[in-house]
Amino acid sequence: MASQAAVDKHRVTAVLVSHNGAVWLPEVVAALTSQTRPIDVITAVDTGSQDSSTKLLKSARIPFISADVETGFGAALSLAVNKLPKSIDHEWIWLIHDDCAPAPTALAELLAAIDDRPQVVMVGPKLLGWHDRTHLLEAGVSIAGNGARWTGLEPLEYDQGQHDGNHDVLAVSTAGALIRRDVFEELGGLDPNLTLFRDDVDFGWRARAAGHSVMVATGAVAFHAQASANERRTVEVDGAFLHRPLLLDRRNAAYVLLSNSSWWMLPWLVVQILGTAIARAVGYLLAKLPGYAGDEILAVGSLLVRPGLIIAARKVRKKQRFVSARVIAEFIPPRWSQVRLASEGFVDAVRAKLFPENSQVPTSSVLDANEDEDLLTPVNNNNWFGVFKRPEVIGFVLISLVSLLNSRNRFGALVGGALPISPAGATDLWSTYFESWHQVGMGSTIATPTWVAITATASLLFLGKVQFLITTFFLVAPIVMMFTASKLLKRLTSNSWISIPAAFLYAVSPVAIAAVSTGHIATVLFMILAPLVALLLSDVEKIESFSWRKIAGVSLLLALLYGFSLMIFVIGLAAGLISTLSDYEKHAQEANAPLYSLRLQKRAALIFVPFVMNVPYSLETIMHPSRLLVEPGLLISGGGPIHALLGNPGGANSLPIWLVSPILLVLIVSLFSSTHARRIAEYGVGALVLAVVISSLSISTHGNEASSKVWPGPVLVLVTLASVAAGTVLLDRLRETLVLSHIHYRHILSALLLFTTFTYSVLAIGWSVTKGADSLVQANRETVMPAFLSVEKDVKILVLREVGSENDKKIQYYLSRGKDISLGEPDVAPPQTVAIADAARGLIDGSGVTSSSTLSDFGVKYLYVKAPFKREIIRSIDGLGGFSRTSATSLGVVWKVTAPASRLMFVGVDGVRKELEAGEVGARTFVPSAGTLILTETYNRSWQVLENGYRLDRKMNEQGLPTFTVTEAGEISLIHDGTVRRGWLSLQLIFFVIVLVMALPAGRRKSEISEKELA
Amino acid sequence: MNFSRPLRFIAFIAGAITIASALNVAVTKKSYSENYPAVVCPPTLSGLSSQISLSSKKTPFQRLQNRSTKTEPVKVLRLPVMKDALLFDAQGSTPVVWQSRTGSWAGGALCSGPASSQWFVGASADITTKGRLMVVNSGLSDAVVDLNVFTENGKQPPRTLNVPSKNYLVIPVDSLAPGDKTLTVNVVPRSGRINSFMIDEQGKGLRALGGDLVNPTSSPSRTVVIPAIPNQGKKPGQGAAPAHVLRVLTPGEVDASVTVELLSSDGVFIPVGLNSRSISAGQVSEFTFAPKISSSAFAVKITSTEPVVAAVESSVAIGGGKDFTWSTAAPELSEFTMAVTGLTPLIVFAGSEINVAVEVTLVNGKLIRKAIKGTDVATWRVPAAARSFTITKVGKQTYAGALVSSVNGYGYFPIAPGSVLTRVEIPDSNIRILNP
Repeated sequence: MASQAAVDKHRVTAVLVSHNGAVWLPEVVAALTSQTRPIDVITAVDTGSQDSSTKLLKSARIPFISADVETGFGAALSLAVNKLPKSIDHEWIWLIHDDCAPAPTALAELLAAIDDRPQVVMVGPKLLGWHDRTHLLEAGVSIAGNGARWTGLEPLEYDQGQHDGNHDVLAVSTAGALIRRDVFEELGGLDPNLTLFRDDVDFGWRARAAGHSVMVATGAVAFHAQASANERRTVEVDGAFLHRPLLLDRRNAAYVLLSNSSWWMLPWLVVQILGTAIARAVGYLLAKLPGYAGDEILAVGSLLVRPGLIIAARKVRKKQRFVSARVIAEFIPPRWSQVRLASEGFVDAVRAKLFPENSQVPTSSVLDANEDEDLLTPVNNNNWFGVFKRPEVIGFVLISLVSLLNSRNRFGALVGGALPISPAGATDLWSTYFESWHQVGMGSTIATPTWVAITATASLLFLGKVQFLITTFFLVAPIVMMFTASKLLKRLTSNSWISIPAAFLYAVSPVAIAAVSTGHIATVLFMILAPLVALLLSDVEKIESFSWRKIAGVSLLLALLYGFSLMIFVIGLAAGLISTLSDYEKHAQEANAPLYSLRLQKRAALIFVPFVMNVPYSLETIMHPSRLLVEPGLLISGGGPIHALLGNPGGANSLPIWLVSPILLVLIVSLFSSTHARRIAEYGVGALVLAVVISSLSISTHGNEASSKVWPGPVLVLVTLASVAAGTVLLDRLRETLVLSHIHYRHILSALLLFTTFTYSVLAIGWSVTKGADSLVQANRETVMPAFLSVEKDVKILVLREVGSENDKKIQYYLSRGKDISLGEPDVAPPQTVAIADAARGLIDGSGVTSSSTLSDFGVKYLYVKAPFKREIIRSIDGLGGFSRTSATSLGVVWKVTAPASRLMFVGVDGVRKELEAGEVGARTFVPSAGTLILTETYNRSWQVLENGYRLDRKMNEQGLPTFTVTEAGEISLIHDGTVRRGWLSLQLIFFVIVLVMALPAGRRKSEISEKELA
Repeated sequence: MNFSRPLRFIAFIAGAITIASALNVAVTKKSYSENYPAVVCPPTLSGLSSQISLSSKKTPFQRLQNRSTKTEPVKVLRLPVMKDALLFDAQGSTPVVWQSRTGSWAGGALCSGPASSQWFVGASADITTKGRLMVVNSGLSDAVVDLNVFTENGKQPPRTLNVPSKNYLVIPVDSLAPGDKTLTVNVVPRSGRINSFMIDEQGKGLRALGGDLVNPTSSPSRTVVIPAIPNQGKKPGQGAAPAHVLRVLTPGEVDASVTVELLSSDGVFIPVGLNSRSISAGQVSEFTFAPKISSSAFAVKITSTEPVVAAVESSVAIGGGKDFTWSTAAPELSEFTMAVTGLTPLIVFAGSEINVAVEVTLVNGKLIRKAIKGTDVATWRVPAAARSFTITKVGKQTYAGALVSSVNGYGYFPIAPGSVLTRVEIPDSNIRILNP
């Protein structure tokens, strides 16, 4: 090989480092030998290759040094450089990886780029993919503040010359990099602590800190297989802990940042590196790559436990530094660019998932064009009016109009029916969810249902405005119901003139109208999601074919629904039992035990995993089964079995019973069909039977002592959906039959069905936009509790109110904490204390001479009778004694209980009762002497009072209230220990994460990704 | 087609309906608490004497000004009252109080439960009056009461009273509208367990002109029946028969047109000048009439275009002196028991078809049954030894009042329950009431 030094003043020594690179080495050697600017000297270092690498080097007549298998890239390089003759001016070392093949002009281009740039000591080529040679890998490299390797390129970016040119960069990859030998030796070569990965960035950073320049010359091109990074060969270098490339990469990234950055940046960098490592680890865990997750954490941990390494490295760099380390600041990517890249990647991934590119779509070739035909084809005028003739547009415009008209009294903070007022912010909902003690009635420890947390999370989309979320939810619900139903129905028919009207009927069905009018969140949500659940479970009869990942995914969706109403669990349980019994019969005939065992396992998982994900709320239903049949919010009575039979939940604000929907008729007709409609109708009838039975039951829960008929909304959702789906299939098939046949009973039956459906639709829409608009749920209604009673904190008020219609009035009472109830509170409301119930009864019938003292014992400070109310009873209360009127306004009458009444009472040794200050749950206050503390909340073992660091002795008094024995005067702390609640919530979070990880698509190790995909 | 499978599903639906019907019991059973509110009898003012007729010696009572809430049995069937207002737990039997000033006047009133509104049509505030309004608070909390006073000069500025618990206030009637002649007082408790009583006592200098207890009515009505008005007729040597004065008020905002029908055993007729008489809204009007009838008692039925309250003042001679009575409106007669021990009232029934069954309990415990039938007006004298009578059956649109004559004077009280069975629904606990 002839020397070219005399031609271009440079002397280039190529150093090829090989390690098990026999796959790529022949091409690399060929590339080196075919350079247009011949290399002056080629030498190689082999680090213990087990393959035929050394044989290939020998046959190529490249002299090489055999090094130990654990020798790093930098150390190998130094070995070779040290063997070279003494350095001369303009001597360059060309670093060649055994998986990097430079283009023939690469060296010439590199030397041309530095010819008139004496300050440049390191120059690198543009790196393209080994397999896809248009894939741009790198054109210079940097490091982000979190240690990420930053190329500034998009994933799989196509090289179109968009980054071409000679640019100053922080560093270039060592693959194909040309480094001036004197500077290489001056800086001590590549850092020996960086056995592999990031040594390039480190060297570039050091070179720049030493006052030199680094550049990329894109005229020079090299093709790089990135074999180590892509796990195409085992990393065996010394110090590569567990020989894991990712671990080594992350560790080295942190090392580079901590060794080279200014000292005052170090704390922020440590935080950033740690935070990023944790975030990445969580991401890898979700992608089911625990090995990578461990690498992330171990990499940072292994470095931080050896600070001496960093200190030594910083000392070395300090000696070499001529300019501030901040000189590289312009090459560090701004933080927003990383965020932008990550978000773009996420959006692309979601888009690719939602709208996969359809490679099946035929594309017309220009060669297929028939020019004569072109001349005859009229020009497309884009007739926009035609759009409004499409059933989709007509249907969705109509449902939007109906929803708007029906919601005209619901623009604002919604309240009424089953729906209490929403809190102003999501934080209030979160605190309701997390708190172990609920200040409702006499207080309770009932587990808050999961829907509270889900609603709080969803409100983040509305900047935490829960009221905005709820209003929007009820406003758009019918439109979304129609949308999801149309998604399902399009699977059953390709005729939009059938599927869209059917979806419209679903959105104006009796259960949909009643659920929106009465504020039944769970039913409305189930109406939206039921078609999607049906789509996911369309092949549930072959449940054995479901992957466990699919089971987990559907479980997540069902857990969301269970979180709103466990009635959906009841539905699932009933369906599961029937299916299992059916399987048992089939098993007796087929005797295929493994198959039926698998079916049972998967079915059980589908039913019970969502149940477990809703602990502790779901577990409490074992003790209180009535909670299985309720929805979020207040208990609103259903209409009973006859209503349910007609697909109408009944009760207040539901469609009148004379407005009969065609649901039952369609189901029965479909039962006699010979099409798939029959099977769907059988499911619908099953659900109808369940709805009829459930609607005949009466329960009392959610703070309602009186029995109320169960609202069968969720079950009727399935009945409605089945009816709509069966009707769609029926019509789709029937249309062709009717067209081709003479008039017979099918024609008459179809006409009857269509007439019933049309009549129902018109009447239901009419009712919905007129009377239906005056729904129980309305916006911006006046509060029950007057503002002046809400001012005083820590106060219990017994509220009496007359409710019901003019002819059927009823007096009811409850303990208020000074304000109206808000979202989530009815779900945790305790049953009423017997003594308070007696006191309230005494107030009403005039026998309550002791009512005042009872209320005082329970810390009830005020009695409030909400107007309008029977004046005789008001006078009766006036005559009872123990109450003094404080106000009588148009809102109602307020009496103050004359005896001391407070949340925290102190009874001294002299027997005198005294009110003490107390906070909302916990309190810090002062007791004047020895005596007894009475907390006027329901007794619970988690109540604790601490004085001087000791717990006071706790007992339950005859009224069922917790009392504490105080032995001396001093400051006390009242707390409700929420350890148990926190434990349950942690368990719930663990269940959720496990199911979520199982449901997510599994990530692949780089070694599992094909060469083609990696390019 | 095989119909067995679809029919099986339809059978499932039928089965579900059957099960549901069995489970579907009524869930909104209401529970009620029933009782008769305790009744209050008026206090006895200075110079007067009172006796309260009771139907049982075991009737529990308490003195209102005694702070204790304990009750004790009354032990007698006619209780003389020295001073305090009394509270009786009479359980459906209405006690009657008879008050009198010796040699001057006498009058009767019903002991009654707390009222939400009472209209007293009677008395005057001119110089002849010595009347008193007694406002009794039988509750254990202080009460606030509004007084609305109407006179011939229209509505007077309202007054508000604070009545201490278990106490009463006595207000001179002449202080309500000084100088005005015709009074009508509406007592409206804003809070508290309130009963009011009115005494109309008149005199000219040292000469007593008589007096009476004015019985209240609960609310104005378009049809008012005053069932018992004494009619003594023209006595020998007397120039003219004593006249009756009808006092009527429409408390609303619109003038009313009233027609007065006189019902007596002599027939039904409209007195001269009392057909479609216009009365001004808010002003108390009086009309004098002197019917020429032979019966000793008659009734009046007033029909009006607007709700009115009304009463008739009748002069009576008793012994050698003069007295007057205020016959007030009575509600439609219903089944109830009234204690009349020591009184032998003449009960006057009024109505187009009178058909009343009465059961009288004598002091010795014996029962006497009596059926009273008639048209327009019927009278029945309660036996002297009666302790109580019970209306066991009554036709529609029948009204009754009692006239009692004693040595001190003449009195009237309506036949109406002092306290009605109060049926209170036992309340439920429901957090829903804290939601708008």
